[in-house]
Amino acid sequence: MIEFRDVWKSFKNVYAVRGVTCTVQDKEIFGLLGPNGAGKTTLIMTMATVYRATKGDVLVEGHNVNTEPERVKELIGIAFQDAKYDRILTAREILQWHGKVTGIDKSLREKRIDDTLAKFGLTTEARKRTWTLSGGTKKKIENAKIFVQRPKVAVFDEPTAYLDVPSRLMVWEMIDELRDEGSTVVLATNMMDEADRMSDRVGIMSKGEMVQVGPPDKLKGTLRGRDVIELKLKEPMPELLGEVTKVEEVHDARFEGDVLKLELSNGRELLPHMINVVTAKGGQIQSANLKEPSLEDVFLHYTGTKLT
Amino acid sequence: MSQSPSALSILWVLIERDLRTLVKSPWILISRTMFFFIQLFVFATLVNKLVNIPGFNYFEFYSVGAVVSTITSIAFIIGADLFEEEELGLLDYLLSLPFGHSLFVFGRALGGAVRALIYCAPMMILVAYLDGMLTPTAVLGSYVVLFVLATGISGLSITLAMVIRNENRFDVVIAMAELATVRVSAAIYPLYYIPKVIQPAAAVSPVTSASDLIRLLVLGTPTGAYELVELALFVAIFFGLGSVFLFRKLEGGRFE
Ligand SMILES: Nc1ncnc2c1ncn2[C@@H]1O[C@H](COP(=O)(O)OP(=O)(O)OP(=O)(O)O)[C@@H](O)[C@H]1O
Ligand SMILES: [Mg+2]
Repeated sequence: MIEFRDVWKSFKNVYAVRGVTCTVQDKEIFGLLGPNGAGKTTLIMTMATVYRATKGDVLVEGHNVNTEPERVKELIGIAFQDAKYDRILTAREILQWHGKVTGIDKSLREKRIDDTLAKFGLTTEARKRTWTLSGGTKKKIENAKIFVQRPKVAVFDEPTAYLDVPSRLMVWEMIDELRDEGSTVVLATNMMDEADRMSDRVGIMSKGEMVQVGPPDKLKGTLRGRDVIELKLKEPMPELLGEVTKVEEVHDARFEGDVLKLELSNGRELLPHMINVVTAKGGQIQSANLKEPSLEDVFLHYTGTKLT
Repeated sequence: MSQSPSALSILWVLIERDLRTLVKSPWILISRTMFFFIQLFVFATLVNKLVNIPGFNYFEFYSVGAVVSTITSIAFIIGADLFEEEELGLLDYLLSLPFGHSLFVFGRALGGAVRALIYCAPMMILVAYLDGMLTPTAVLGSYVVLFVLATGISGLSITLAMVIRNENRFDVVIAMAELATVRVSAAIYPLYYIPKVIQPAAAVSPVTSASDLIRLLVLGTPTGAYELVELALFVAIFFGLGSVFLFRKLEGGRFE
């Protein structure tokens, strides 16, 4: 378990993290979602003992980063946003060194290195000095450190930045595997689909604050009344409006051309019922469409910032 | 899951990292080797022909000083390494790894010293051979002296890097520190011939102590036990200071 207790971090007079309090449960994937500059990396660095919190505590498995940094470091492995390793060394050397310094036995280490490199298709590239490699490949090697280490608490800062689609899927799968083995995962991202697909729970950060925490579906549920049903009719029938608004969950109904637009809560459950209401009154439905709030809408709602 | 490595194995992996990067970046060292050979076989040989002091062989005197000044300049590199690591963000990575900051400092200073010694080991053998004293005692004893000196210089370099905190200024200061420790010493000329004003400084220089101790081993030139004390003191002071400064910087969190 990781507990953030009123964590503040300032750089000179700029506050990058402002009073974050939240808990990451064991063996969950916790998505840290926020726009550029929200403070995700800073929060992670504080938890990894790299930055010292200006105020507040982070407890990792009960160990306080301020008083027992060494114990915390034994538990954590962090794949940084920008690749951080000796560029003069080869990928294999980097992974070997990382495995050694984190105490992975030689045979296990070599096996994990081979497996990870094979999964990324980097077996031959791993013999080159890393500064000659492409941006995406550098990022994969940064992630690979953690797949070799397999720490109790695995932190990934934007693990799929620079990666092509197959590689993103591979990284997601590998992070899932890590969690299935019992690691707790903190994953910072500004990609909605990544946060939505990967996270058991999401923490939305904005301007240094943790503005909302919860499972993606539940967060979407907090935007009650934001479902939209669109029924395309053969022709506009304004007389239907009075009828459909009799349903309690419907907040608003209007015609946009020949499309009847209903704003309501519980759209999914009510869709068949609304279709019945309309057809009972002689409406001829040509198509029906349900829009539920996406994590993006949730994000927009709580941060006032749109991610693209 | 992993089991945390012992302090000793952490020290070893830290040293190993310095060795790996040493092997991978040979040019800076190759240039220093060439410099060593030129100094020894061109400069020292020439000067030896020019000066004629009975009972004093300048080539032999200088050969020892050449090894000592070479190891000094290599040991100074560690501070620049730290700057580069900070710039590349590598320091963040190193600080996130499972060892304490004091162990990290210790490992880095040792790494710098081991790296410097490995590099100068063949030079020392060559010098012992040229000076006609290629015995295990002379060579191993010299290694010990060189290693101790290099640890102290690494500490000095780490200290300067941490105090200065600006890479360009550091380069200048390091160049001057190197110049001062090597030139203001009895590494390449006898203390007696050094201008009176800087003689006291040269006398207490750790480079002087190291040179004199090695001359005792390979040339049999007598020297006092105080040289040993001086050298040990130097190491203690700068290694300690380096640790304290790096430690403070790290403990305080970066960018504060
Ligand atoms: N080392 C630093 N020195 C000064 N300011 C910093 C430093 N690191 C971060 N900041 C500032 O703190 C704020 C938060 O930055 P941070 O890198 O934590 O954001 P982020 O959420 O990770 O953004 P991104 O999605 O771009 O990675 C920003 O305003 C940034 O400029
Ligand atoms: Mg970031």
